[in-house]
This record gives sequence, structure tokens and C-alpha cells, in this order.
Amino acid sequence: MGGAVYNSGIPNVSANFVCRALPLAPRLRVVVRLSFILLGLALAARAADWNEPEQQLARKVVAVTGPGAIAFTVENRSSLGKRDHEVIQNGLRSALEGLGIRFVNAEQAAATVAISLSENSASYVWVAEIRQGLGEAVVVMVSAPGPQSSTAAHESVPLSLRKIPLWTQDDPILDVAVLEENATPTHIAVLDAEKVAFYRWQAGKWQQEQALGIVHARPWPRDLRGRLLPARDHLLDVYLPGVICRSATAAPLTLNCRETDDPWPLVPAAFSGGTITIFPGAGSTSSAIAPMGAFYAPTRNFFTGALTPSVGKFTTVSKFYSAAFLPRDKYLLWLFASTDGHVHMVDGVSDQAARFAWDSDLTTVKTSCGAGWQVLAASAEATSEEGTGDSVRAYEFPDRDPVAVSAAIDFSGAVTALWTEAKGDTAITVVKNRETGNYEAFRLAVVCSQ
Amino acid sequence: MRLFDWRWFVVSSMLVAALAASAETRPQYGGVLHVAMRAAPASLDPMDSTQPDSFARRSLAMLMFDTLVTTDENGRVQPSLATSWQALAGSQRWQFRVRREVKFNDGTPLTAEIAAASLRAANPSWNVIADADSVVIDNSDSNLLAELALPRNAIVERTSVGKPSGTGPFHVVDWQPGKKLALAAEENCWRGRPFLDAIEIEMGKSFRDQMTALELGKADLVEVAPEQTHRISQEGRRLASSTPVELLALLFTRDVASPDEKLLREALALSVERRSIRNVLLQGAGQATASILPNWMSGYGFVFPTGADLPRARQERDRVRSKPIWTLGYDGTDPLARLLAERIALNAKDAGLSLQPTSATAADLRLVRIPLASADPWVALADVASFAGLRIGKDQGGVEDLYASELALLAAQRVIPLFHLPVSYASASTLKNWTLRPDGSWTLADAWLGNARQ
Repeated sequence: MGGAVYNSGIPNVSANFVCRALPLAPRLRVVVRLSFILLGLALAARAADWNEPEQQLARKVVAVTGPGAIAFTVENRSSLGKRDHEVIQNGLRSALEGLGIRFVNAEQAAATVAISLSENSASYVWVAEIRQGLGEAVVVMVSAPGPQSSTAAHESVPLSLRKIPLWTQDDPILDVAVLEENATPTHIAVLDAEKVAFYRWQAGKWQQEQALGIVHARPWPRDLRGRLLPARDHLLDVYLPGVICRSATAAPLTLNCRETDDPWPLVPAAFSGGTITIFPGAGSTSSAIAPMGAFYAPTRNFFTGALTPSVGKFTTVSKFYSAAFLPRDKYLLWLFASTDGHVHMVDGVSDQAARFAWDSDLTTVKTSCGAGWQVLAASAEATSEEGTGDSVRAYEFPDRDPVAVSAAIDFSGAVTALWTEAKGDTAITVVKNRETGNYEAFRLAVVCSQ
Repeated sequence: MRLFDWRWFVVSSMLVAALAASAETRPQYGGVLHVAMRAAPASLDPMDSTQPDSFARRSLAMLMFDTLVTTDENGRVQPSLATSWQALAGSQRWQFRVRREVKFNDGTPLTAEIAAASLRAANPSWNVIADADSVVIDNSDSNLLAELALPRNAIVERTSVGKPSGTGPFHVVDWQPGKKLALAAEENCWRGRPFLDAIEIEMGKSFRDQMTALELGKADLVEVAPEQTHRISQEGRRLASSTPVELLALLFTRDVASPDEKLLREALALSVERRSIRNVLLQGAGQATASILPNWMSGYGFVFPTGADLPRARQERDRVRSKPIWTLGYDGTDPLARLLAERIALNAKDAGLSLQPTSATAADLRLVRIPLASADPWVALADVASFAGLRIGKDQGGVEDLYASELALLAAQRVIPLFHLPVSYASASTLKNWTLRPDGSWTLADAWLGNARQ
């Protein structure tokens, strides 16, 4: 197995070098040696991935040439990196040598073997073109499995906004509710088009506890959206276009769904159900935020604009995709991301439309940072070498113009949902990963600058 | 280690503009989309075999119809009208469970009986039956799923007057064969109502007229000729190009009749200067090829040399005493085809062969464009073979079997591959979220117009 042979030497050489160069304590030396052994095993395991196709291709080549002297080249026509190219080249050499092949110059060779490392849409394809004398080339080939789709790890950027990965799946995630946490979430519910699935963090991984199906008679609209809201007297409520589901109050846990156009709540329960402090840094004014509901179009992807109760004199506003609010001294300033591309700022007396460089998703969080309330808004960020993805940034509104108070936090795809969590200080954002096509749910937290 | 991601190559030209735009807002409902196309199909029936396959026909079919299964942008098979499937009896028989509560555009519920009848009509040689809520197909073909995902296998219900009805996101409002098609959103589509209210499609429009319509704001989505893609992209227009999914080839209308003819066909294949034709006439578009399947599909396409070899061509030619004059047919409505035919005739002349380009339908060989049927190499190869009046073996295994089948097909000397061409479309900046499928057709079910009224 050529690949393994090639790789096995590297760690030992490196380890010896390290041991000679540094006056390490014996225990540390053991740790270093063990680390390199593990590294070596890892590299060897990686190289072994190519072993089978290397052996297969070598056998096919030798079946044509027979044992003897050949001229041998390997060209990379695929997306394989230089490192893999070298590993495979050495692996093939070893495999061929093991079958009685010697490598010589073209002038001395009985055959020339030109190997191309190619690929198609499903797998790698390694092709050997074998020429003996003046005859036509004989072509043999093998296919090697393509790589497993990598789940890109997303490093949190130590900025004002922090993203905490919660859940990833193939199907669109509409919302995630954190039901229990102990420093980190330990029990979550994930809403998609057909079910609410419950997962518990056990033994270092998420394990599904239960999945409750969502009953609906009508087809869902495209760009389906939904909300998952923990409740006080039962576990949670589910809001979907034209359908509201409520979990049972007693065990066993079930979900009862009904067709209805009842409004969706726009104010998290934590704000509307108890006394909270507004403007923590500027004196203390205690006030609860009045509940607010909005009617969602059952066959569309937006709210109809009808509100209950009204915002001052406004019982309806423009159709909107999402809403956020900011408490002021004597009123709430509502921000509606309208379907017409404007953000409508409604204070009960006036409706002022403005165009910000925002996406259609925005929401409110209450934090202990800055003015205490921030609007999180998604926007399209053009560009990095890897392409385009959306970002989310925190804003405050000293008056009617947004002031960015955090750096943008980037995502590797389009933001498809942005909802405030029940406790109000964090938000859930769902992103469709551009590379994998998976949907990824994150918790977004505002971290105060020191 | 990372496999070449051809999904991204599919929309490479569109990425920067389209993705940035797609995140601008959530999809908006409403609006009428205007599309122009060169094809002028006389029928909307996806299983009408009298109509030539084209990217336009595929695109139209999937607006109105659905298949039992479909393929995603990665080429993986996904459920569509079938919610699940399983192979029975050693993969000789397949059972597809039909989705419930789906209705055709005329209100008729989808049943296993209708689905089975539709597949039988499209594939008379298949044994297809309905079994309760399932469709059962006796077929040992390992590529059955990819085959079922083809638009020609869409599930069609025949109304009492013989009109085809589908379960797709749009239904026909007005149909003037070969000229104009007006579609309206299907409110109760099982996948959800599409964002667009309506689509109006003008047919039989030249590439030039299409581009003019786009520039004047009369069309939102138009086709772009391969040789125009470079210029259009330099003008900063929103351009989307597929991977090379169309085979441009010379197709002999009959089998090789004699050893002499075999040599002459070999000489012709060796005489074509693909690289210079690509650089000059195609303006760098597409890929020169001597293989039927593009390299991205097979992984071995580079093995077939594409360079002209005039000395060898003459050598082959000189081994034959007779000097036949072949007529080379081309599509008279395609200006590029005429130029290509004339250039190929010149190359042939250099090798001592006589080719007479003609736009007449009867010819010894024809310059043809063959839309590759599927991203599945076996399905694509079988389809090209069928186009050439040939068949490939049933034993469809790994990549080496594929190579052997392609080699056998080429050895028959009915087809001389020349180029693999991408399919390109230009779109208005207001059109969002339309997608190019791996087979070169477009999907508008999730498309929306940025300035649409609601």
C-alpha cells in the first residue's frame, strides 16, 4: 500500500526533529510522540482512501503491459489538490512495483503509461493510456468515490454578534426553539414543513426524542415560513400559514393542529407577559410591551398588514415580511419590512417609509448592551472569493435612521428566517448553506464590547 | 480534497449578479413573466415523439407537468409525484408509491392508474401496472430512475377531448402552436402556488429578436446563441450558462456500407479543425470534442483526441479509389449552422474529400445539435445512440463499461462529435430565483419578479 508507506515516514522524522531540537521533559516528550503517532495514523488513514483504486488501476495496467519496464506519468486533470496528487502518484508507483513493474525512461521502456486523474459529476475517474510500440493506445480506467460532502465548520467571529450553531438538516428549517439549556442548549425543537422534531443533547450529540407531524389540508405556499413559540401552560405553539398547532398540556406529547387565520404574535412572550426594564442604562422605567399580533396570508409568504390590536391609529400597514419594535419613552416604534422593499416606521401617528440596505428579515432583541434594544437585520453582502452570502448586523435607532452597532456577521448562504427567541435577548437565524444546500439554524447573541 | 463542483459551473456566469440579487428580499408574488424562445413546438404534449427534443420543450414541459421522480442540481434523484420507491425481485421490478391529494390542472385527482397509463403511453415497451396506490414497473434498467425523471416521462392525463393535463405549477390559458403560449399560476399546485401570476412565451424568435426584446423590456428571459455569450457577458448583462449539455456533431444518415466508406468517414473525422472553428466561429464557446459524452459527465472525454490530423486524413482518403460527393445538411434557419457546415466542407476539401453543404432535408450527413437527455451518462449515451438510430448494450455497469459502450458507438461511424456547447440565457434584472437545471432547461416554478405588484 503505497500511500501508507509514503506517509508513515513523515511523522517519525518530524518527531525526532522536535525531540532533538527542544529540551522537553520526558512526559511532554511522550505526549509529543503520541501526538505525532496519532497524526501519522490520521494521515495514513487518509492516504488509505486511495488504496483500492490505486490497486485496481495498477492491476489493470499490468494486465495489459505485463511485468517489466515502463515509462510512467501521472497528470492531474481533476480538482484534487497537489498533496493528493502526490499521494496518489506514489501510491500508484508502489502498487505497480508490487506487481513487477520497473520505472525507466521512455527510450528504455517497453510501454508508456500516461495516467490522468480526472473526474465526472459523481466520482473521480483515473484513466491510464497505455502505448506499446506503434499501436493504438489501450485505455483502462477505474472510478474512485468522490469526497463526502464536507460540513463546513463556521468559526464564530469575535465581534459584537455571535452565532451559535444549533441544528443542520437537508429540509428547510422554519424555526428552532430552545426548550432547555445549561450554559448551552440541551433540548431543542426544530420546525420544518411536516413536523416538529425534538432533540436532546446526550452523550455529546443531539439525539432525537420525538417528532410530531403537522396536519394540514392545503398545500403549503412556496417560501414556507413558520414560528415555534414556547408557551407558558403548555410546551409550545406552532404558527404556519393558515394553520396553528398547539402541543398537549399533558403527557403524552401530541400536537393538535387546526386551520385558522388567527394572528401570529409579534412580541415575544418574555416582553409581553411580565415587567421588564427599558433603557437599563438611563434610569429605570418598568413597563411591559403590549402583545401585538399580525395576520399572515395563508397562501403567501408575508403578513397581510392587518394588526391586532392597532398601532395607534393604524389597524393595517403595508404587507410585510417581518417586523421589529423599539420601545420609546411613550410609545413603541414599529419597523415593518414591507413587500414593496421599504421599511415602514410606524409610531401610531405616522407611517414613514424608508429604504435601507436590508433584506426582508428583521427582528428585535433586548440586551444589556448599548441602548438596550437592537434591531437585527439581514442584508445581502456581495462578495468574498467564495461567493456571496447574507449577513446580519445589529442596529440602533437614535431617531429614524439606523446606526450600525455591530460588525456584520457573515453566513455562507441566504438567510431564510430570522426570529426573536422567546426570552427576547437572542434570535434564531436559519441559513441555506450555499455550498452544501443544507439548512443551518443558529442562535444569534449580541455580545457587549468591553 | 474537493471534487470539481459542476453545479457551480452551471451558473458560473450568473453567480455574482443573481445571488446578490436573490438575497435582496423574500420572494414576491405576482407579475407576468415574458419569455422568448427560438423553438416553435407544435405540441405541448411531452410524450409527442414527433417533436424533436429541445431545451425549450423540456422547459415548457416542466411548467405544466411533473414526473414521478426528479433530479436535483446535484443529479440526485428526488421524490416528485412518487413519494417513495423500492426495487423488488432483484431490481427487476420497481414500485413507486404515488403522492396523495394531488390534482391535475383540470381538477382530476392523480391516481396510480392514470400515472401507469401515462408511462405506458410514453414507453410502449415497458410493462407498467397500477397496484393500489402504487405504480409498478417491470424494468431491470439500472438507470430507470434517471429515465423517469426525463420530461418525456411526465405524468399526463388525457381529457375527454385528448388534451394533455398536468400537475405542474402552471396551466395553459392560451396556446397558439408554434407561436405563443400563455400560462397562469395553478392556485392549488401541490408544491404550492408559484410566485408568478402568469407566463407569456413567444416562440419562433431568432436570437437577435430575442435580445432586442430583452433590451426593450419586452422579454424577461431570452436565449443566447453560443457564439454571442462572450459579447453579452462583456456588455454586463445577466447571463447564465449551463455546463456543456448539447452535442454538435456530424450525423451520417445511414450505416457504413463498405470498407472504403469506413476509411472516408475516418478521414472526414480527422480533417475537422475543431479548435480553430471554436475560436473563430463559436467565439470560444463550448468545448471541442471527439467524444459523445462531455468530460464532466464521463471523466474520460480527454482520451479522444480533438486535433485535426490532415496527413493521416489524406492517407486514409488515398487508400480509397472512388471519390464520392457527400451532401452535408444543416438547419437553414440557423446562421451559425451554415457557417459551420461551410467551414467543415473546407476542412474536408483539404483532406481530399468533397462535401456539399445544403439546407435541404435530404443529405448524406447532417450537422446536428443533440441536447443531451440527462446528466446521467448512461441515459445521455443511450439517447444519442437512439438519435443516431443505434442502440447501446443493456449491460450498464461502471465507468469502463460506459467507455466501452461509447467506443462501440463511435466505432459504428454514424456520429462524428465536434463540440459540446453550453446553453445560455440572458435575463432582466427584475427576474429572480429562476434556475438552470443540469439538463439545460430552465425552471420558473420558484421564480419571481422583483417589481411585481401584489
